[in-house]
Amino acid sequence: MATDDLTLVKRVRSGDQRAFRLLVERYQRKVYSVALGMVRDREEANDIAQEAFVKVYKYLDHFKGDSSFYTWLYRITVNICIDVLRKRRGMKGVAVEYDETNQVGTSEANLGALGTRLGTNPQKSALRKELAEKIQEALEQVPEKHRAILLLREVEGMSYEELARTLEIPKGTVMSRLFHARIKVQKILSEYLELDESKSGVGSE
Amino acid sequence: MTSSPACNTYMPLLSPYIDGELVPGERISVERHLAACKDCTMRVADLRAESGLLRVGMELAADQADFKDFAQKVMARITPDRPPLFERWKLALSETFLYQRGTVVTAFAGAAVMLLVALPLILRERPPVGYAGERMLVQSVTVDDEAHVAPVVLETSAGNAIVWGVHHLDEAKPAVAPEDEATDEELEQEAAPASPDDTKLKQDKPKGGEL
Repeated sequence: MATDDLTLVKRVRSGDQRAFRLLVERYQRKVYSVALGMVRDREEANDIAQEAFVKVYKYLDHFKGDSSFYTWLYRITVNICIDVLRKRRGMKGVAVEYDETNQVGTSEANLGALGTRLGTNPQKSALRKELAEKIQEALEQVPEKHRAILLLREVEGMSYEELARTLEIPKGTVMSRLFHARIKVQKILSEYLELDESKSGVGSE
Repeated sequence: MTSSPACNTYMPLLSPYIDGELVPGERISVERHLAACKDCTMRVADLRAESGLLRVGMELAADQADFKDFAQKVMARITPDRPPLFERWKLALSETFLYQRGTVVTAFAGAAVMLLVALPLILRERPPVGYAGERMLVQSVTVDDEAHVAPVVLETSAGNAIVWGVHHLDEAKPAVAPEDEATDEELEQEAAPASPDDTKLKQDKPKGGEL
């Protein structure tokens, strides 16, 4: 049976580096996935994931244990990603506006475009490589806070409670932010499907 | 596409609905609405499709990454200067018992079983002392000139032979017993037919040597 995170954290604190390696191996893939979804650059995502683990090790004494280890790890990862994106924006001089109160025009989304074209078998549909790439492109077009919450929910499967703790926002905000993020991505994806279907029929099963 | 006022009310609940994050009362209310509203049913299908698509799409992207050296690189960045030798031994020993307890126990058990099996075999294989030994060195052979000796030849399955010189008590011709009968018993030759003729024994007095 695998040793739980908190036991490994205790061992790391007592100087057992092997325990930390186990934690790295346990979460490396997921941390990388979140970073990749956030920055959409493989090399940068790899650097961010490494940096996240190094920070976790460095500040392990700050981890109180009142939340789960992975919640804390993902919070650090998302914060590093946001810093990297800010630096990148600073270099490019482009500002991405983000307003939580903005109303999303749900009626603008092509209703049923995803559900009817992709059916209930995402595995089958997502095997199309170009569609997986389109997902990353769609993520890139939404504000980073929306991106983070979507990735943590969909890739990590976090509950709303865990999302609230990781992102340090109220649970009500989790609900609305996730809803807005989904509507935005859905709109981008359905437009892509509609466009692509008219060209080559990629969206059809 | 326009949405009804009822849809506008329920739409924000559709996202937590597919995530299973609504309280039972809200969930029942949403399900009643879905039963009556085709548009919101399609919205739910869209949300579910998007959710699955994101998950699988990101997994596919992560699959292309190579994590072979990832942990090693992280460990290299956090590893401090080497601790003293004794500390390293202590840590290595404790880690071995902590993470490879099963292997250590199995190794010890295996070694114990091997010892139990091998030890009697080793002890049994040790060559016995005396005539049964594979090789023995005859230091000296002494034959009493006056003794009346008759040879007894014991042939072994390995082709060797043990020759005993036996003092024959012949009343007609009483012989003088050798001083040390045990000395005669040392006379052992390898596959050498011993001559019963004691005259020859007298003439060719054997020398000591390796058998």
